[in-house]
Amino acid sequence: MPVPVSQAWTVATYVLKQKLAGRKRYPLVLMLEPLFRCNLACAGCGKIQYPAHILKQELTPEECFAAAEECGAPTIAIPGGEPLLHPRMHEIVAGLVERKKYVYMCTNALLLKEKLHLFKPSKYLSFSVHMDGQREHHDFAVCKEGGYDIALEAIREAVAKGFRVTTNTTLFDGADPDSVRAFFDEMMETGVEGMMLSPGYSYDKAPDQKHFLGRARTRSLFNAILSNRKPHWQFNMSPLFLEFLMGKRSFTCTPWGMPTYNVFGWQKPCYLLQDGYAESFAELMESVEWSKYGTESGNPKCANCMVHSGYEASAVDYTFSSLKGLMATAKAMFRSEYKDPNAVHRPAPQLVQIESKAKDEVGV
Amino acid sequence: MSLNPDELELAPGFEHENLQGQAFALATEDELRDALEKAFDYRGDVTITRKSGATIEGYVFDRRIAPTLAASEIRIIPRGERKKETISFADIAALAFTGRDTAAGKSWEAWVKKYNEKKAAGETNIELKPEALD
Repeated sequence: MPVPVSQAWTVATYVLKQKLAGRKRYPLVLMLEPLFRCNLACAGCGKIQYPAHILKQELTPEECFAAAEECGAPTIAIPGGEPLLHPRMHEIVAGLVERKKYVYMCTNALLLKEKLHLFKPSKYLSFSVHMDGQREHHDFAVCKEGGYDIALEAIREAVAKGFRVTTNTTLFDGADPDSVRAFFDEMMETGVEGMMLSPGYSYDKAPDQKHFLGRARTRSLFNAILSNRKPHWQFNMSPLFLEFLMGKRSFTCTPWGMPTYNVFGWQKPCYLLQDGYAESFAELMESVEWSKYGTESGNPKCANCMVHSGYEASAVDYTFSSLKGLMATAKAMFRSEYKDPNAVHRPAPQLVQIESKAKDEVGV
Repeated sequence: MSLNPDELELAPGFEHENLQGQAFALATEDELRDALEKAFDYRGDVTITRKSGATIEGYVFDRRIAPTLAASEIRIIPRGERKKETISFADIAALAFTGRDTAAGKSWEAWVKKYNEKKAAGETNIELKPEALD
């Protein structure tokens, strides 16, 4: 079981309550962005492209608690920016834990080891460490040599101190399925509870606009990675969402499933698109024309998206919508090898830094 | 020809205009609406001149489109402040992209080029650092 039973039970009962109340649209995970500042400068990131005066702004703990209560979702992810750059992050996390929210604090872990003493292990708190693959893949993706080793050391330290730790991995064009599978082995060896995966989204504001996966390549890549799974791999996410990424299942988007709150307000319509901001969660839910979003809407900004923030909530909703959904989820959890001798492992283009290392070694 | 998203291997990226340093006089309603949409997409600060002659420099984080200019609004965080200001389209006389485009020139290709240059120069621990905020 990749998440504690209490967490699975909390989420299940929350979703069932929404269903019994007849709520068609309900939030599952609050994406809380207390700041946009980061200590990395990844080319694929569309979250930090702001002028300095915006990057200096932060939500206060009180603003974070108000957003959590207004939204009501049982789970809160804290991405950013880098949350550990927020001087009061430990207060924010402690306050959310006190409210019995399951918190995933997403971090690149460059500061995790030195700030670990500010946090207390809890079943409500997980550090979700951003790892984009094996050492050279990760370092190149985050544009920092040495980043992988720092994060790995922090993961081991956090696990040793009794914290829940997961990894989150974003894959772009050029990802090598064999390397990603070897990376899963490395991560599970560190003692993490589970791993999260998603294809990168083609953020309008990201500096790099040329390496985002299209839906066809996303499916073939994830099918190659996730077929013939090893028994010790654990994924901290809906198994039906993983089937969706592998092309084994179709879902429509649930953009309200993971609403986003940051220094601008409640982001319309979802975590990825910035089509304006609402001043309250109620205004967000009422003012967005939801039919204009999602792949099925024909909106070109949604055309290539298969990201967890839109589709994992769809998978969870499907699980609890019918006996068929429950059975499919149970089957995916307990018979999860996904044997497929035909899963194609296309050779990935060689990474530039690996290529230069090879040249060094042969003296070119 | 429209693309079938389910058949796409690579997602087409967003083409950013080079707006930094440009100014718009906004003579017609169409020009005004078009320029303010560009301001909303811009990754830097802009300066807005009101019809009163007052100017405000800041980051446009929202726009609310309505059938009339009077009912349409942009929302801006002035530089150096934490408050949000709302300005009606009807009150805007001019717009200039005065701040730097914060993502320009930071493509994947630029990173690969920089990496190769530093590697060739014998550097280790190569990285792109976030820009200083002061």
